[in-house]
Amino acid sequence: MANLTLWQQFIYYYQHNGNYILSQFNRTFLMSVYGVLFAAIIGIPLGIVIAGNTHLGSFVLEFANFIQTIPSLALLSIVMIGMGLGVKTVVFTVTLYSLLPIIKNTYTGMCSVDKNIIDSGKGMGMTKLQLLYLVRLPLSISVIVAGLKNALVIAIGITSIGSFVGAGGLGDIIIRGTNATSGNAIILAGAFPTALMAVLVDLLLNLVQNWVQPKGLKK
Amino acid sequence: MKRRAKILISTITFMTMIATCACGLVDNQPSSNQIRVTALTTTESQIVANIIVQLIEHETPYRASIVNNLGSAPMQHQALYRHDADIQAVAYDGGELTANLHLTPIKNAKRANQTVRSEAKKRWDQTYLPTYGFANNYAFMVKKSAQKKYNLYKISDLKQWQNKFSFGVASEWINAPGVGYRHFKQAYHMAFTKIEPMNIGLVYSALKSGKVNVILGYSTDGRIDSYRLKLLKDNKHFFPPYNCGMLINNYLLRNHPDLKPLLMRLVGNISIHDIRRMNFEVDDRLLEPSTVAHQFLVKHNFFRGKNNG
Repeated sequence: MANLTLWQQFIYYYQHNGNYILSQFNRTFLMSVYGVLFAAIIGIPLGIVIAGNTHLGSFVLEFANFIQTIPSLALLSIVMIGMGLGVKTVVFTVTLYSLLPIIKNTYTGMCSVDKNIIDSGKGMGMTKLQLLYLVRLPLSISVIVAGLKNALVIAIGITSIGSFVGAGGLGDIIIRGTNATSGNAIILAGAFPTALMAVLVDLLLNLVQNWVQPKGLKK
Repeated sequence: MKRRAKILISTITFMTMIATCACGLVDNQPSSNQIRVTALTTTESQIVANIIVQLIEHETPYRASIVNNLGSAPMQHQALYRHDADIQAVAYDGGELTANLHLTPIKNAKRANQTVRSEAKKRWDQTYLPTYGFANNYAFMVKKSAQKKYNLYKISDLKQWQNKFSFGVASEWINAPGVGYRHFKQAYHMAFTKIEPMNIGLVYSALKSGKVNVILGYSTDGRIDSYRLKLLKDNKHFFPPYNCGMLINNYLLRNHPDLKPLLMRLVGNISIHDIRRMNFEVDDRLLEPSTVAHQFLVKHNFFRGKNNG
């Protein structure tokens, strides 16, 4: 192997371990998505609730901020003490980290809706629920999706570290590369799909963000 | 607007449904038929773990997964002890004895193995299977040509060369408790004048390129066979045995009685040359442990089940 260049080794590795990389790619992706999904289920309603209550809002945001300051490896280890090794620890950690971008963006989106528009909605006789679904949500949806995008990109990074608690995924390939005799190509083989995934997710959610933007707000 | 809101609601509900379904798919609950095998960060343990997982998945209806990259032997032990995992792929009797059972090292290979087996059963309710057929000891090695030229077959043969040869050793060995250089000097009554501590990964190539004459390395490293290195016999039984076997939580064997005969197939069937070759393929030939494990199982006819393919 020593006679091959780094890129040749990289290509050789892909040719011989393709299935394995694909399954680990899938695994990393699913763990990140589920973490963010759970965070969205908690975070979006929470963001909507706190948008109407400034005191509660600053408290919740402060708390989410606090979670974000804990280094990911430390938080993983803390969660591991409670939940043990494996996938569920990583998914839970990702959920915790995704809360801030999701809550914050939902909160900001809700708060930035023009008061006059809400007033005219009220004037038309809309109920609170109608106001939420017909006015406030559509007007802030692109900001919320931007929050999801942020969360997912962070999540992919954290999931890679999740290999240290036995969850598997692309991080496994990177760690193995650091242990092997001539592991540079393996490190690259693990890092490249991770970076690619983050970029792809970003591009994809950009499209989604564009798609959900109400027609009237599109430039 | 109205339609968009509807789409949004339906997407969210749909995603929630997927999330709840997939929880069972991704998650490994102890109650399900998922069997979890631990592996360390070492190549060897990952290969063996992959062999076990693929064997179980092919021959039984159970699903198996690897809890990978655990940092140390105590961490593996904790994973099994807390029922976060069911099988420990590699358990070295010497290591279990000192690191997890907190007993003094036993130099007699048979007695060490027996002690681990009975203590594991008594203290942890775990079964320690007989060894796979290889041991990962510290070992002194020389080149094949040097062995013939200087007549080196056991460690005592090094005595007359102790001031002339240069010795490449793993840096952690110098101060290793109980088996380190200090104790070695007393046991074999020799001290090396030219001793060069280095990273364990470097000693093999240092010997190959002639930078040193004798090295101390691990006996399962893949480079031993490919560089044609010869191991010197530990004639005073100084290094404690590190026979490698499988450690299984007993509840798994009670719940699935068909597993034990299956796992016993591996006992004695992974030779030191097999593991060296596989280590080499992973460390140096850019193959993944899972790929190498599959090749091993196919080559040695371990797949015998109905779904042969």
